Amino acid sequence: MAQITAGISSSHVPAIGAAVDLGKTEEDYWVPAFAGFDWTKEWIMKPENKPDVVILVYNDHASAFDMNLIPTFAIGCADEFQPADEGWGPRPVPTVKNHADLAWHIAQSCILDEFDMTIINKMDVDHGLTVPLSLMFGQPDAWPCKIIPLAVNVVTYPPPSGNRCYNLGRAIRDAVESFPEDLKVQVWGTGGMSHQLQGTRAGLINKEWDTAFLDDLTKDPERLRKMPHIEYLREAGSEGIELVMWLIMRGALGDKVKELHRHYHVAASNTALGHIVLEPVE
Amino acid sequence: MKQDIHEYLAEFDDIPGTRVYTTKRARQGYWINQFAMSLMKEENRKAWLENEEKYLEGWPKLTPEQKQALLDRDYDKLLDLGGNIYFLAKVFSTDGKSYLQAVSTMTGMSVDEYRDMMLSGGRSPEGLRSKSKGY
Ligand SMILES: [Fe+2]
Repeated sequence: MAQITAGISSSHVPAIGAAVDLGKTEEDYWVPAFAGFDWTKEWIMKPENKPDVVILVYNDHASAFDMNLIPTFAIGCADEFQPADEGWGPRPVPTVKNHADLAWHIAQSCILDEFDMTIINKMDVDHGLTVPLSLMFGQPDAWPCKIIPLAVNVVTYPPPSGNRCYNLGRAIRDAVESFPEDLKVQVWGTGGMSHQLQGTRAGLINKEWDTAFLDDLTKDPERLRKMPHIEYLREAGSEGIELVMWLIMRGALGDKVKELHRHYHVAASNTALGHIVLEPVE
Repeated sequence: MKQDIHEYLAEFDDIPGTRVYTTKRARQGYWINQFAMSLMKEENRKAWLENEEKYLEGWPKLTPEQKQALLDRDYDKLLDLGGNIYFLAKVFSTDGKSYLQAVSTMTGMSVDEYRDMMLSGGRSPEGLRSKSKGY
């Protein structure tokens, strides 16, 4: 049977993608940002850890979805997805190959579990999805695993609550565990951490709050589940709300988890860059 | 547990220097944001940069104020008029500008000052969490 073997979270700052694509990762500005991913890059390619499939939770930044269509939870079910042209041409990264059988299985299973998923066949995937892949896998000719895109609306209010996200993670876990193929499946939650991209409060960073969030993924996920949107907005900036997506990852790992690795760096462009690797504990 | 929608929305107005992208803003800014989406195509970016006023003629539902703010690249104003930063990113990307460059224009700081602030830990949330409670 398929199994959830680990959870990874990471910011998905677009400038990181640009740094990779333009060969700037060795520049002083970027070295400390990328250094915290060296551990993960090595860990994830070891045969015992390497995922067959990643369920990649991210948000579309007005790329596949415009103001005509705003799905709260959308799961990509086509065989493949191309990188989006976000205004500066598509990123030169490999095509995203899906595990469509598992994606459709998760869609059906979650709908039966009262999560009304939107099913997407034709869509391009933006930096929200491709930047974490670059951070974890570098620049290969093909991504080393299948990827199921799971897009969450965190742009138009209200986005889903943290609790709803956590519970969707649990439903995804149930779905994965009822899939008959032997697969190692990871769930990635992306976006965040504290950042604000607008107005006079732009550039807000809250290290203390971000650190507590990272700590409580292991120590007190119940606190995070109950956190209202207003707290994200006040404490982590208007774009910090992306962190609800990390709770889908966390919910998919079960009650207890072990932290394997973390990285926190200020700033990547406008954003507090956060990254964590978690493993479920039976 | 369901939150009261009126209380939920009212709290957003208590955050200093922040416009939360509610459905009200989304409706007001629909055409700004759809205009911005059109710049995801190379041929549209070319047409826009070649003759901005002419390109805007193809968007008759934009208000004169919205059109002017687009011509001025006044991102703060565009947010007031219902624009959303992820949509507006198509506009500044077409100009070859990064998020950091575009965002800094809303802060009253120069790009370099803003970049330095970010490198030295960013803007502290102290005093910027709530207008009414001042913390
Ligand atoms: Fe994002």
